[in-house]
Amino acid sequence: MEMKVETRKNVQVQDVSPSGMKIIWQEIKRDKLAMGSLITLAAILIFVYGASFFMDAKEIAKVDFLSIYLEPSSDYWLGTDYGGRDVFGQLIVGTRNSFTISLFITLFTAIIGLTLGLLAGYFGGATDNVIMRVIDFVIALPQLMFIVVVVTIVPVFNVYVFILIMTMFLWTGKARLIRSKALSERELDYIHASQTLGTPHWKIILFQLLPNVSSLIIVNFILNLAGNIGLESSLTFLGFGLPESSPSLGTLISYARNPDVLENKWWIWVPASLMILVLMLSINFVGQALKRAADARQRRG
Amino acid sequence: MTLLKVDNLKVHFPIRGGFFRRVVDHVKAVDGVSFELQQGETYGLVGESGSGKSTTGKAVVKLNDVTSGQILFEGRDLAGLSRKEIKPFRKDIQMIFQDPYSSLNPKKRVLDIIAEPLRNFERLSPAEEKKIVQDFLDKVGLSPESILKYPHEFSGGQRQRIGIARSLTLKPKLIIADEPVSALDVSVQAQVLNFLQDLQTEFNLTYLFVGHDLGVIRHMCDRMGVMYRGRLVEEGKSDEIYENPQHIYTKRLIAAIPDLEPEVRGEKVKLRKKLTAEYESSYSKFFDEDGRAYDLKPISPTHRVALH
Repeated sequence: MEMKVETRKNVQVQDVSPSGMKIIWQEIKRDKLAMGSLITLAAILIFVYGASFFMDAKEIAKVDFLSIYLEPSSDYWLGTDYGGRDVFGQLIVGTRNSFTISLFITLFTAIIGLTLGLLAGYFGGATDNVIMRVIDFVIALPQLMFIVVVVTIVPVFNVYVFILIMTMFLWTGKARLIRSKALSERELDYIHASQTLGTPHWKIILFQLLPNVSSLIIVNFILNLAGNIGLESSLTFLGFGLPESSPSLGTLISYARNPDVLENKWWIWVPASLMILVLMLSINFVGQALKRAADARQRRG
Repeated sequence: MTLLKVDNLKVHFPIRGGFFRRVVDHVKAVDGVSFELQQGETYGLVGESGSGKSTTGKAVVKLNDVTSGQILFEGRDLAGLSRKEIKPFRKDIQMIFQDPYSSLNPKKRVLDIIAEPLRNFERLSPAEEKKIVQDFLDKVGLSPESILKYPHEFSGGQRQRIGIARSLTLKPKLIIADEPVSALDVSVQAQVLNFLQDLQTEFNLTYLFVGHDLGVIRHMCDRMGVMYRGRLVEEGKSDEIYENPQHIYTKRLIAAIPDLEPEVRGEKVKLRKKLTAEYESSYSKFFDEDGRAYDLKPISPTHRVALH
């Protein structure tokens, strides 16, 4: 008797396909790694954004010659750097800056890349040609030189300028990726069917094509989000990163260019490196779960 | 009453080549095809792969650009209309696609798939919409409870029926069926075909049935046209064409139907050999020097053949 009730319940659950958010949530719940990563990520972000709200950025960036290269202690939880600045404070503000930069670069490049990629892929022909030539042009530009020049000539170099200049160069990859997917999707009959059913182009692009490239976008978005966290560290390495007044994870890591710091003063660069590692990994794990949720065939539940 | 009249339809695709991707030649996918559909009948287009039968069907729903010629639907020419001008006609001309796997959006629920045409043409409350969708699901033999399922939860035959339900929601007059059963296995084919015939009587539909399976076409169609390399080579009542094929291509096509009885196999082989000999000896009677079939000439009031 009980068995029968069970099966009936199961059938009923299957009758109604769950909504998108519910599927994502179920997928994350089933994957312990993703769940753990999500909690870690949320905890770090809430702490970092919350704490930096109460911190004085100027105070952190202030040079104090009396406390240079101090080891971790109860006053300075993670010691100090060569300017006597608190590494822990820099780590908090740096994580916030790095994540904000990464989030906005990813968001802006995704918006631009998605719009142009979908248009190029769906319409093809001349539209595609024009958009692809613009992309070729942007790719052909010497990216690093442009960034160096912009960094040198802008009066105030801060997080916003950095986001803008990076967005200018990084949208091309996404546009190409989405175009290629859109090109193959538009040849499928469901797009033709929509056309014969009298659905306007913009509706087909938004409601037929977009959901079918969404898994690609989600995965790419997440991987980019993880990748862009470390983006500014290479520029900082070249000496064209963000100024020390706006610390980032890259700034902290680049202190390790000094062999003495690398060998003897681990407290300066290890926490930032670990932070990047943890952030990237947990974002990636969550991304994997989202990827499975976006594809009905890969779902675990 | 003539519902659809296709007159000297041509669909040519450019071949680009050379340094500046100039147009160097054209693929004449459809090259001067004319036929008429009467209200309530089923007209079959048969031919081998690449003969232009699907392209003809797609040109009628404007999925392909028409190079020249006329497509008269209830007396109005559709060939020259822009996307906007064609919209009112979309309601009357619908299409059933060949592949039930790619013709349904995998990310949409059955409800959204079948209601898509309704949402484009009518303002309905969600409850009314749901009721109509469930009615049609019931009509095509699927459980009305399955509106919230996704296409991948159905079998090929069921998916094809979802596609058919979608094409019926607007109560069209003409349905272009582009090889609607060739992706299905034989037992399901018969089921879907009979069901298409039932719907025809119920909704007074006219079918333009594109296919390569001669048995299916004979079962379904009142009249048919045989296409070869973008041209019609023979056109007439289905029985006339099956019993009395006049064009060498039609003869060979019909002779190529496999026979289930082993006793007649020898005869069939002989017939095919004879036809091959006839094809070689009287090629010029049926095709000009470019290998193009001649224009159709009537040999009886209902039967037209491309003869010199």
